[in-house]
Amino acid sequence: MTTLITGADGYLGQRIAAALRGEDLILAVRCADETELDRKRARLARVADAPVVPVDLRDADPFAHVDPRQITRIVHAAAVIRFDVSHDTASRVNVAGTARVREFAHRCDRLDQLMLLSTLYSAGRRRGEVRETRHDDAGFVNHYEWSKWAAEECLLDPPGLPVTVARLPTVIAEDTTGAVGQYNAFHHTMRLYHSGLLTLLPGDPATPLSLATAEFTVDAVTALLTAPPGIYQVCPGPVTLGTAIDTAFAVFEQDPSFLRRMLPRPIPCDRASFHDMAQAAQRLRGGPLQPALASVTPFAEQLYLPKHFRTDRLRAAWHGYRAQNATALVEAACTDLIERSFRVTEDRSATAT
Amino acid sequence: MNGLYIGSFAHALGAQKRHIRESAEAGLLRSAPEDLEAAGFRWHHVCEPDDTAYDLARAAVAEIAARGDLTDVDAIVYATCLPGGEAGSGPVRDVKDLMDFPAGRLQAEFGMSRAIVVGLHQQACTGALGALRVAGALLTTEPGWRRVLCVTADRFPVGAWYEQAYNLISDGAAACVVGRDPDVCRLLTVHQITNGGLGRAGDDETVGTYFAYTHRLVRETAARVGLTPAELDWVVTQNTHEKAWQILARLLELDHARVWAPTLADVGHVISADVIANLSALLDSGRARPGQRIALPMAGFGLNWQCAVLEVVGR
Repeated sequence: MTTLITGADGYLGQRIAAALRGEDLILAVRCADETELDRKRARLARVADAPVVPVDLRDADPFAHVDPRQITRIVHAAAVIRFDVSHDTASRVNVAGTARVREFAHRCDRLDQLMLLSTLYSAGRRRGEVRETRHDDAGFVNHYEWSKWAAEECLLDPPGLPVTVARLPTVIAEDTTGAVGQYNAFHHTMRLYHSGLLTLLPGDPATPLSLATAEFTVDAVTALLTAPPGIYQVCPGPVTLGTAIDTAFAVFEQDPSFLRRMLPRPIPCDRASFHDMAQAAQRLRGGPLQPALASVTPFAEQLYLPKHFRTDRLRAAWHGYRAQNATALVEAACTDLIERSFRVTEDRSATAT
Repeated sequence: MNGLYIGSFAHALGAQKRHIRESAEAGLLRSAPEDLEAAGFRWHHVCEPDDTAYDLARAAVAEIAARGDLTDVDAIVYATCLPGGEAGSGPVRDVKDLMDFPAGRLQAEFGMSRAIVVGLHQQACTGALGALRVAGALLTTEPGWRRVLCVTADRFPVGAWYEQAYNLISDGAAACVVGRDPDVCRLLTVHQITNGGLGRAGDDETVGTYFAYTHRLVRETAARVGLTPAELDWVVTQNTHEKAWQILARLLELDHARVWAPTLADVGHVISADVIANLSALLDSGRARPGQRIALPMAGFGLNWQCAVLEVVGR
């Protein structure tokens, strides 16, 4: 049994490879040249004792270095995961790249499972209850969401492959200690609030957020590798936007430097107001607001589209499923951000001036 | 602030009217001119090299004097962002050289012999409203007094950027009189919030905190006179990015058609004087009817936020 992991050097790819350590793995990574490949091999050698092969999903035959006869499982983790990704890049990497994985999977005679790591937000603009079923096109807030939905469709239609779609939550920390391993829209938004660069809150405070640890997410993925193919929503138990912000500010307000600045809690604003503010900010010369908002704005509209993700299939397939305390996770992650990131950055700024 | 009225509004601007593109070419701006144009700015007013902030203040007060409204003044409250005056270069031996008394000069020049003087320079662009508040307090504590002249004036030093917090700046001054006798408007209240923790805030923090604080400011000020923001008849604002009040109007649930800043393109942000210029434009337009309530919200470095509410009387 050999598992091919695409995007094995990515944030989740590495952690999945580590979780499967001891099994037969082939780690596929994208690299520009031999030097980068060597660097990635050295890094992944610390994660798993497995061959590392170059795979660029934009190539016509990206799996030329992989023998399809030995592959029994594919975990397709490679993707561009940015809410501000362009349509062209999302299309070439996330959609066309998945089509190439599908073509390769058809050549794997012993394939038991092809798992796509997708996102809960492949649901797009729909509101309300979201089931663990195929989605029709409800429109999308950004090209990233669209591309992940299109990638799901690419594998699910037509049927014939043993496809598992794992729709993943927003990972905000490594584990319940709150240690932040990688920044995404959540962290950028918190930085804006902590620094006083943003005092508007896009979204309905009642909108549930699906925030998780990498540990929970990887446990779900590995559990689903032994589950029947199908669609699963990896949702650890939601926290509302309003509670998440209140929790974050309760943490920030323990920080003396934050308290001294007496920064106000953000006020909820309507969609048009946030859009106007983001548009205007694009013309503010070179300050820190612009790049930080760039990662937040393409996602902000989701915060006006409350969704309740059903997890019946996930819980039935993953006996180790335990709902997570998302409020405690936000608290832990924000504490980590202050101690290891925000305060460090502020100290460096102070030194520089 | 029972029984207090406000009127005799006047303002003066730097003598050189410049287009934003011209000032960009002269190196007076930090942002690209097209970005400031997208915010609604077009023209601004810059002093001639030898003109001072005092000259601007004198011009505004002279307008009031010319109308015959500068009588019986008991106090002058003078607000400025930049109190340094025009200090010369080189070492200072006599600290009197650092002192500047523009309010006293106004008193002498306009013959307001019984007026005492008060200076405000900790409220940045909100100082004009701070002057109204101090005027109200003086009239409350001095039963024999009838009229207080409020003046604000600022002139940027030669070579300075005429841009602050992404706003195009004009040199300018404004003046008005707060008194006990019925006048154009009744002065109902002035409210202030200060966050000294953001006293050294940069442009981005200033912009970032603008919405939450202005939202709070207007709500709290309206509440002081028993109103909700939606019940205000007019909101006369500083000249700032035209999107800012489209956003705030939605947040405060007030009709954006009642937000009034018609001088934005023509004069830009005149430190503490553009609200007075906009208020004068509203009163001159005849659209403000007796009994209507006008809010004047202002934000300034420091960071300070102030808002006054006036009731139109008509005279």
